[in-house]
Amino acid sequence: MRNIWLIARREYLERVRTRSFMIMTVLTPLLMAALTVGPGLLAARVSHHSRHMVVVASDQQTGNTIKEQLIHENDQSRQSEEAARKSSMKRGPQPQPEITVDVDTNVSAEHRAELVQKLQNKEVDGVIWAPEEALKSREIPFITRDTSSFIETAEVQASLKQSISRHALQARGLNEQEIDGIFQPVKLDVQDAAGNGAANPQIVLITSVVLVMILYMSVLMYGINVMRAVLEEKTSRIMEVMLSVAQAKEMMAGKILGVGAVGLTQIGIWAAVALAYIVPNAMALRGQLKTMLSPGLLIWFAVFYLLGYTLYSTIYAAIGSMVNSEQEAQQLQFVAILPLIAAVAVMIGVVEMPNSALAIWCSLIPFTSPLIMFMRIAVQTPPLWQIALSVVLLVGTVYALVLLCAKIYRVGILMYGKRPTLPEIMKWLKYA
Amino acid sequence: MQTIELMHVRKSYDQFVAVDDLSFAIAEGSVFGLLGPNGAGKTSTIRMMIGITAPDSGEINVFGKPFERKSLHKIGYLPEERGLYKKMKVLDQLVFLGELHGMQAADARKKATEWCARLEISEKLDKKVEELSKGMQQKIQFIAALLHDPEFIIMDEPFFGLDPVNAGLLKDVMLDLKKRGRTILFSTHRMDQVEKLCDSICLINRGRSVLQGPLKQVKAQYGKSNVQIEYEGSGEFLQQTQLVGSYNNYGNYVEVRLAAGADPQQLLRAAAERSRISKFELVEPSLEEIFIEVVGKNDA
Repeated sequence: MRNIWLIARREYLERVRTRSFMIMTVLTPLLMAALTVGPGLLAARVSHHSRHMVVVASDQQTGNTIKEQLIHENDQSRQSEEAARKSSMKRGPQPQPEITVDVDTNVSAEHRAELVQKLQNKEVDGVIWAPEEALKSREIPFITRDTSSFIETAEVQASLKQSISRHALQARGLNEQEIDGIFQPVKLDVQDAAGNGAANPQIVLITSVVLVMILYMSVLMYGINVMRAVLEEKTSRIMEVMLSVAQAKEMMAGKILGVGAVGLTQIGIWAAVALAYIVPNAMALRGQLKTMLSPGLLIWFAVFYLLGYTLYSTIYAAIGSMVNSEQEAQQLQFVAILPLIAAVAVMIGVVEMPNSALAIWCSLIPFTSPLIMFMRIAVQTPPLWQIALSVVLLVGTVYALVLLCAKIYRVGILMYGKRPTLPEIMKWLKYA
Repeated sequence: MQTIELMHVRKSYDQFVAVDDLSFAIAEGSVFGLLGPNGAGKTSTIRMMIGITAPDSGEINVFGKPFERKSLHKIGYLPEERGLYKKMKVLDQLVFLGELHGMQAADARKKATEWCARLEISEKLDKKVEELSKGMQQKIQFIAALLHDPEFIIMDEPFFGLDPVNAGLLKDVMLDLKKRGRTILFSTHRMDQVEKLCDSICLINRGRSVLQGPLKQVKAQYGKSNVQIEYEGSGEFLQQTQLVGSYNNYGNYVEVRLAAGADPQQLLRAAAERSRISKFELVEPSLEEIFIEVVGKNDA
């Protein structure tokens, strides 16, 4: 036991002290943040400069309705952006997206050509051509320089739809207040049978995908780290020095424990940062994230990380002991990764239907279950017996694999030369 | 007392018999040479002594009782395959290996510092192993094997890859350890290098012992039956088969093994006939020659 502890401690300290550990610990969350927040920021950037729109309608009243709707839509998206900015990251004031709308009733073709000219000269940013016929045919030209800005076109489309509806209702004799009443937004309050409020499905999706990806990356990264560590001992030929004081199984156990502890440390740092900084600051999401990142879920995360990591790192330790170089390792390594890749591939399907046959099977089969069962727990707690069965199967498989891989490891670490074939490995199992 | 005792030990891998019915014992405080060519089974034998592998049959007693893992704390092993953790600092590495040998960290730290001072590498204690030269890494490897002051020291090919200065240093350390009553086993195929250090030897070939005993006795058995000759001129006399059993030409001199019953004086006369003799000396055969003779006889 003392040997296992000494080997694990060395493995842990040597890794945690390296620069690459610190860089990974800092960089990974930044990268994650960049990947999740980045595209949104990029898309939103377009709407951040003030725009000058021209609405051309057959009569002033229709034009004004469209104008009001455009300003209204714009205000709304501004407000939601404002809220998001305030809640997530406190940055300096950004240029406010402004919109000015001119209403025009000159529907002649010459006027249209004139407006297009203005658009090209950048005097205006968009022209909505909405004369009576266009409104009737429900096909309204929107002339803009930036045809790819989907946020802007969505805004314009929403405004026009509203305007047409309001226009029609007005024509049937309803007044402004009545129309506003009709268009009041609807709030959906999703509950389960027990009357508990469910979390926003979008947040559930994002949080569980992020957690599973962290799980996947950690299992893979630290599994491969174990393999590298074994390979390093083989290539640096320190193996025999070590074997003169420690048993092969002590070396394998020490390595797996030490590297696993490094992984837990890293995830622990991320979780602490997330809980201490991001969650309290994300005002809008706070309540929901809190229900998502419950201590229960974090405990499950730790359970499935440890089981998944032990499973894969044991396989990786055996692979490391069999081969003589990184290149050789890469080919075998791929075989070991396959079930993990399969788990990631079915992940989205599992989120959509956490109780489908595929999801249930994948959450029970030991090689995919660390990811998929955790995913199911994150999305919607499955029946307890399924969780229990999954954990029992996983623990049993880990136990069997540890016994098997320890044998391969014991023989493999003293074998140099060509990579063993499958029949040779079977022979090792016999005389180990 | 015997520090280690092997009795009819056998080890085979698959079809290949690495060690076959091998028995020998090493007396406490003596220097023992386990000698033989590459692939003779030396490393396989050592691995069984320290429990890396188990013998298929036979018994191994260490410090007077069957092998147990806690005996390893009293054994120091310098394997043929040398290696250290490249990214680890020298002192950390030595302390780690010392702790594995049952030492307390503080004690290991103190001893490691002392050893580094003795081998004149104190300034490298804080360096990573990969920053050191080959020779310095070798010194650290020795310290790692000796740090816990083992009673029994096993050195597999200890002089392999050493420059003369380091080889001399190692020899001095070994002699000092012998003086302090430690038991030492040298395993090597370079018999000439350990001949002068060993009290007794075991020659093995193809996993079997072919000759063993106290060195003096082994040599006496073969007597002063060799002649070293330095000469100029014709080497014709070497062809006289009634005098010359076999010979080895080393360039500067020839070593002749006399034919059975031949008189060295006769050889001297025959040689002096055609060539100028500058040296003619009766010597004991070297271990290597004894080995070649024994093995030659066995294989024939």
